[in-house]
Amino acid sequence: MATSVLLACGLNEQKLPGFVHISEESNVDGSFLISCILGQRLRISNAGTLLVCLQHHYQHYFNAGMRLGYNTNIFQGKTLGVIDVLSDMAGEGLASKWLRNSEGQTLTEQLVEDIRAQVESNYASRNSYTVLIDNLSILFNLGASKLQVQQFCQDLAALAKERENLTVITKLSNSDIYQLTDNNVAKLGQVRIQVLRLKSGVFREVDGKLLIERVLEEGNYACEETRKEVLYKVNDRNVKVFAPGEIGVKV
Amino acid sequence: MLSNLLVTNQKVVLVIDELNRERIAPKFIGSLLHEQGQGAETIKALPTGVSLKHVATFEALIGECANHKNNNTAAENAGDLDGSIPGSKATGFNVILPTLADLLCYQTPAFIFGFLNRLRRSENVCRVFLWASPQHLQNPHAEYILAGCEYLAELVLRLESDKLLSLISRKPGGAVSNKRYSCQVSKTFFQVTPLDGGLPAGGSPKQPSPETEQTPEPASSTFKIELDEDEVMARNALTLPYERTCEPSEGNIIYTPDADDDFDEEDPDEDLCI
Repeated sequence: MATSVLLACGLNEQKLPGFVHISEESNVDGSFLISCILGQRLRISNAGTLLVCLQHHYQHYFNAGMRLGYNTNIFQGKTLGVIDVLSDMAGEGLASKWLRNSEGQTLTEQLVEDIRAQVESNYASRNSYTVLIDNLSILFNLGASKLQVQQFCQDLAALAKERENLTVITKLSNSDIYQLTDNNVAKLGQVRIQVLRLKSGVFREVDGKLLIERVLEEGNYACEETRKEVLYKVNDRNVKVFAPGEIGVKV
Repeated sequence: MLSNLLVTNQKVVLVIDELNRERIAPKFIGSLLHEQGQGAETIKALPTGVSLKHVATFEALIGECANHKNNNTAAENAGDLDGSIPGSKATGFNVILPTLADLLCYQTPAFIFGFLNRLRRSENVCRVFLWASPQHLQNPHAEYILAGCEYLAELVLRLESDKLLSLISRKPGGAVSNKRYSCQVSKTFFQVTPLDGGLPAGGSPKQPSPETEQTPEPASSTFKIELDEDEVMARNALTLPYERTCEPSEGNIIYTPDADDDFDEEDPDEDLCI
């Protein structure tokens, strides 16, 4: 269903890099990547996953998972943990802890605390653990400043460095105004996946382009990097990838 | 080598990186220092990440440098030279700061300038290295902050592209030089060549490199300065307009008759009625 796109991104392995960042350009939707990665992590036995829902609530990921061929409800509470910020706020209103600003903590500090608590209670019993955060730009809508988001990501990167088999995967819609924050988050990790729109316009058979940048080795004066470009099409029940130039207009 | 240009007596070194190499900044500066024989014991680096939130982290660094100095002085007074740290005894420490983007993430610009100034004035510090990548500075006044850092720095290295860098050097006497270099970078070495046709930095002055012999004009120049034999001959044969006016020539009257003119060659003065 989503193997080809994960293979193209190099995220189909059991052990993932410590920090992976997905940059989403304005006018494209990269949420399918989160669903694809979630499905892949859940299929690995004894691999823990924590899903932090900021852009969509948990039900969305359940529905997307059903279309891609996996049922998140089976794993929830076992290998899958969920922090559903949106549902909490919708259910509890202003009494929600995310809006109360309790003990002078900011939203991002509260979130880091919850993620740390989840990791500490589950990490030891799992072979590997993955934290998926979709989508950092929603934090701006909830009142966080750019600096707070940057500090939040630094905290997460530190968390990933502390533990060997822990991976943090973040996504940020840069909306053409958060480019600097996007750069700062991307530099924390070894893999950056940019979801880009087609420069030539809209095309029925291709939704956009994935640019995958991976740092292979950090030298003293330069890094050894690989860059790969693939085109993608999100269908109802799968995601297809194509090499650039593979698809053209048939006359 | 780049390290010959950067590891000098000048104290505050600012690296402005436009190539997105921020992730290897500490390693980059550490390698430059190692190339110049600065041991690990002379290098102090601030931790990165959350610990930058606490002012105590910055104070601890300054305190650490001062303590080593005091210990060394005490050891020297007691005649116990083995107890001293060799690199820090004579010259002080090389301090590698976190990148400017990371510093600004946790501290105010005023604090950063103050701390930089304290390091600059400290006797226990011989060099301070600060790395700034403009594409990572998200402070609304980033441009001014960067300009402030440039003002404090005595050496400003700007990595402009993969093959080009510039170096502004301010000497204690007030002299300022701005030089541009072409560079060759790999994972393990950083070779620079002056663009004014000089010798590669760190090379022997008596043995110019083969590269400079082959290409006397700067690598970045779009002009072809050298002329081959045919071009020299053609240039010499060409008479320029100002030279033509100086040529001696006989006076001539150029007369163009009218269409109705009845010109008689035997009596050209017929129309004068003499």
